[in-house]
Amino acid sequence: MSMRVVLAEATKDLKVYFFSSRTLFWTLALPLANGLYLYFLYLPFAAKSVDLQFISTNRRIDLIGFTVVGQLLYTFFTMMLLAGAAFDVERWQGTLETVLLSPANRIAILLGGALANALNYMWMLVALVLSWVAFIRINVFITDFLALSLSFLLSYLAIIALGMCLEAFFIYSRRGSMIVAWFQEPIMFLSGQVFPLQSMPTILLPLSYLLPLTFGLIAVRLTLLGGATLTEVAVPLVALAIMAVSFSILAKLMVNFAERHAKAKATLTMF
Amino acid sequence: MTSHTLRVIASTTKYNVIMTWRFFSWTGFALRFATPLMTLGSAWVLFNYVYGGRISTEFGPAIGSSGYLSFITIGNAFYVFTFAAAFVVGRVMFWERATGTIEATFMTPMSRLAYMAGIMTAAAINALVDFISVFLIGLVFGFQIATFNVPLFIVGLLLTYFALFGIGLITNAITLTFRDRVTTANTLQVLFMVFSGIVCPIEFMPLWAQAIAKTLPLTYGIRLTRASMLNIGTINATSDILMLILLGIIYFVVGATTLRLIERNLKRKALFSVF
Repeated sequence: MSMRVVLAEATKDLKVYFFSSRTLFWTLALPLANGLYLYFLYLPFAAKSVDLQFISTNRRIDLIGFTVVGQLLYTFFTMMLLAGAAFDVERWQGTLETVLLSPANRIAILLGGALANALNYMWMLVALVLSWVAFIRINVFITDFLALSLSFLLSYLAIIALGMCLEAFFIYSRRGSMIVAWFQEPIMFLSGQVFPLQSMPTILLPLSYLLPLTFGLIAVRLTLLGGATLTEVAVPLVALAIMAVSFSILAKLMVNFAERHAKAKATLTMF
Repeated sequence: MTSHTLRVIASTTKYNVIMTWRFFSWTGFALRFATPLMTLGSAWVLFNYVYGGRISTEFGPAIGSSGYLSFITIGNAFYVFTFAAAFVVGRVMFWERATGTIEATFMTPMSRLAYMAGIMTAAAINALVDFISVFLIGLVFGFQIATFNVPLFIVGLLLTYFALFGIGLITNAITLTFRDRVTTANTLQVLFMVFSGIVCPIEFMPLWAQAIAKTLPLTYGIRLTRASMLNIGTINATSDILMLILLGIIYFVVGATTLRLIERNLKRKALFSVF
């Protein structure tokens, strides 16, 4: 039953958004622009590479690769956040009450949106990485494909789980989009997307470690650009696995609470 | 005619200022600072923690000043100000259509350009708060003003506004034609953010990026603002002012013409409020 909801929601979203101007902006124009912006931020320092350090692993990574991979993963994160805007869209269309009257699993609806967004973005992500490797000559250095695959997979799962937690805001408040938009820049800053995590002011590090994107960026950058092995990225991978499970449970609780609250207060479709 | 145009500008400005403050949203207001805060914070971390206060030896000669964090603060403040003010114009027609008032607006005999100028003036008044706020935030990150050349600052600001007004008109024409919600305006926004030299001197960018930067009015506006506040002698203010005038005229003529043509076409085909 839940699988059918996931597939139905994913199919609907793919039909509506595949190659739409919205998708092109969020998956192509914005990441390219942001990636360039971050790259330009480094130019006054005449830097060609960045030292990336996590626990005892230390790698010198090509600057373009550092910013490109950071931006791609961050965009993926944003896409997962947008997946849950499904509830916001339903509200605008006036169909939110009907959707929440149905026996469809709420988490399955969100997973469907997340799957569609992942498919919308994935082909473009692969194309971008291949073209950048070919034309910009990003120095990709992989020694452990298992570590790289696990880095992507666990990042994906943990990011989706956190995204689903945030989606509860779309049901709970009419300002859901605003609240989620509010998170974007702080997450960019705290996750170490712009600069290596070891340079983060110590007082902010606990906040960084709450974000799956932080560990995802460390694991993917180290395995894709620094040739790190499974042992070297074991800590971030375990952290991602724990986050994937705990955020999933939290998401279920938060979405249920938001729905109950909105139904009790009759605020599901109020503007 | 001139009096009527001025009255349209004044009344639209008054109406929009009142509306902004009557329905003031703290979350929306704070969201406008997200990007500059992130940029300032990141630049501060890069400068102090990652590179220990060392910048490229070419940075100083390229901008005529070595104050990296002041350089970044001014770029961001100017960007936030012009963005908050100018890009409101680019979204006018979208909101008119969304609120169902577009047909009524276009039935009035008022000048469309005066109406848009009024909206932009109101946005500029409101954006002063953003402008000052970014400088105050910049003080925390190490912003230091070296001088303040008021005439140069005002000339740069007004000419940038004029050029951005033209771009706003073009954006409206696109919005009206393609039923585009905000993608055009958002794309333009990121284009300005990346290529206007907010975070690095355009001389440091690749040649293709420099070519794009030279077509954007914000590039020259930011250079003039920096020259007026950082006492930069190496910038040729006269050529920047002339380029801003030229770009302003081009964008304004193209924007006004396309908007008029598209309005005529939409009226003829009865497509104003069709979604």
